[in-house]
Amino acid sequence: MTHPASILRSRLLGALAFAAAATAAAPALAQDAYVIGVSGAMTGPAAATYAPAVDGLRIYLDGVNARGGINGRQVRLVIHDNQGEASRGAADAKKLLTQDNVLILLNASLSATYAPMVAEAKRAGVPVLFASAVCPKEVYPPADPLQFCTTAFAANHDSRATLSFVKQQSKEPVRLGLAAMAIPISRAEIDFAENLSKQMEMTPVDKAVIPPPTADYTPFATKLRDANPNWVYSWAPWVTQVRTLEGLRRLGWNGRYIAWAHLNAEDELARLKDGDFYVIGANAFFQDELPVHKEIRDAVAKAGSQYPPTQMAEGWIAGMVIEQILKQAGWPTNPQKVAAAMSDLKVDTKGLRGGPIEWTKDNHFRTRQYYRVYRWDPSASAIRLVQDWQAVDVK
Amino acid sequence: MQLLVNIVVLAAIYALIACGYVLIYRASRVLNLAHGELMMLGAYLLLTTASLHAGHPLLAIAAALALAAMAGAFVYLALMRKMTGEAVLAAVLTTVALGILLRGVIVMLWSAQQQYPLQHLGFANPPIALPGGARISSAMAVLVATTAAVYLGLFAFLRLTRWGIRLRAAGQNPLLAAQRGIGLHGAYALAWGLSTFTGGVAGMLIAIDAGLDQTMVMIGLKAFPAALVGGLDSLAGALLGALVIAASEVLLIHYVDPLLADVVPFLVLIVMLAIRPWGLLGTREQLDRV
Repeated sequence: MTHPASILRSRLLGALAFAAAATAAAPALAQDAYVIGVSGAMTGPAAATYAPAVDGLRIYLDGVNARGGINGRQVRLVIHDNQGEASRGAADAKKLLTQDNVLILLNASLSATYAPMVAEAKRAGVPVLFASAVCPKEVYPPADPLQFCTTAFAANHDSRATLSFVKQQSKEPVRLGLAAMAIPISRAEIDFAENLSKQMEMTPVDKAVIPPPTADYTPFATKLRDANPNWVYSWAPWVTQVRTLEGLRRLGWNGRYIAWAHLNAEDELARLKDGDFYVIGANAFFQDELPVHKEIRDAVAKAGSQYPPTQMAEGWIAGMVIEQILKQAGWPTNPQKVAAAMSDLKVDTKGLRGGPIEWTKDNHFRTRQYYRVYRWDPSASAIRLVQDWQAVDVK
Repeated sequence: MQLLVNIVVLAAIYALIACGYVLIYRASRVLNLAHGELMMLGAYLLLTTASLHAGHPLLAIAAALALAAMAGAFVYLALMRKMTGEAVLAAVLTTVALGILLRGVIVMLWSAQQQYPLQHLGFANPPIALPGGARISSAMAVLVATTAAVYLGLFAFLRLTRWGIRLRAAGQNPLLAAQRGIGLHGAYALAWGLSTFTGGVAGMLIAIDAGLDQTMVMIGLKAFPAALVGGLDSLAGALLGALVIAASEVLLIHYVDPLLADVVPFLVLIVMLAIRPWGLLGTREQLDRV
């Protein structure tokens, strides 16, 4: 009969051997796939802007995996929720870079998370991709070697395009009201727009910088209305843009309002049904019914999502770009090869944008930015395209 | 005139939220830092009941209000009851954890997407013209009226009804109240239920007026200074504190700088803490105990 102590010893040795084998196998298993790390504002006050995009990315990459992956390898997406907080973004970045050994670190969150995430990524030599998060100036020429951006909106370029549109549309002198959210990126853009408007012979009459969040936007709208603008331009998260508009309309202001077309702009135009509310953006609306829109709708219906397909364009484009990057990087790969692939990239967005996304060594934003303007047409009870793709060279 | 209307509306929002903080603190000396999340939960419950009872908006609203009240009582009985007798700080930290949990659960159940309960209810929210050229949205007019009704109702309840008196007794001296046969757990559960009910009303009306998303949590936090300025154990103080802060905010937005809107509530709070730490109408001895 075998002694109990020897049975225990052999079981312990077996368990240790198993643990050693499992531990040895784990890195090998992880290395069998391309690993992409995401730190995004999946919950918290800013989640409505970012969570749908991350879900769109997830659904896109699930589709890629279902078709056999890239270069014969699956893509593993590791998603963390930073709630828009810098400390969480830093912790996510550390974990994704040191434990998950990601090839790309993706930021889908507020600009407060940028600095700590970029710092960690630079230490690890891993490229950072901003998707649905506002593009930092480091992606514009001359670009930082490790920072890239697929997000539609672009500081300064957006305001130039918007004010050009306003000037073109106005038969009378423009008295311009401006509305920003009290976050650095929005304030800086509206300050830029204010200065630009003077150069374009418009008169900026008032500027409302609104802290997030606000229980009632009417006091801010009152101040704007009292300045008697005939146009108001807002470049801010959607909540500030639309609630300022609603506040102005409530006060009886009948001027024209133009804002950036965030993810939910298409649905919101249909909800508000305001014929003098214009949205300018870089993503085509789903009402165009392009083949890629059908592709997105079908994928979302199959995968299931809390978010409507109309809010998935940013995530889908990020997915298309990541797929192209990894195809170019090949297998086996490492962050350096991936960064090199990203610095020479051209991706056909299939009509989701006005043209391809092109990155070069010095330009990690895109070489050309395309804009469209939409508004609600009350006579047709439908969204109308007011201005088709206008291209702007990004220098 | 529009400025006056703006002050009244903002004061009503803050007062309706602040009374939830006061009710719980007054009864149990616990600062409920999950009040913003519970307020938001009330609004999301309305979204659900409105979807389920399409075509019956009043039923949807009544169901949401009942669920909001029950949520508060449930939170107390399932969680906060266990903190009774523990250090106050432990109870407060428990509410912080509850808030974090609720935020995650809400996103899981309803997503982070912007929602519009008004669409599901089938109501419109047209502006109402007032004398002097002022305007107010229908939803905010209802909120102002509701705040007045809630406060009158609470004053009457606390002064004239048996359970209201029990609630006050439990808050003033729990040991003596218990010895006199007042069920403390019942009183505290009632306080929590009333708090989430009033918070839920605020959340629902704000969501009806302006839409619903995760930022509502922060609005709940912005109302907290109103409760502190007025005196954390005084309902009348919460009303007065809300008025002071709302007036400061609206006037500074209009005449000085809109950016001050975020800072003003806390500036007023700091000034109040410096000169009268128990608040405008709070009880001084209560503060010493804290």
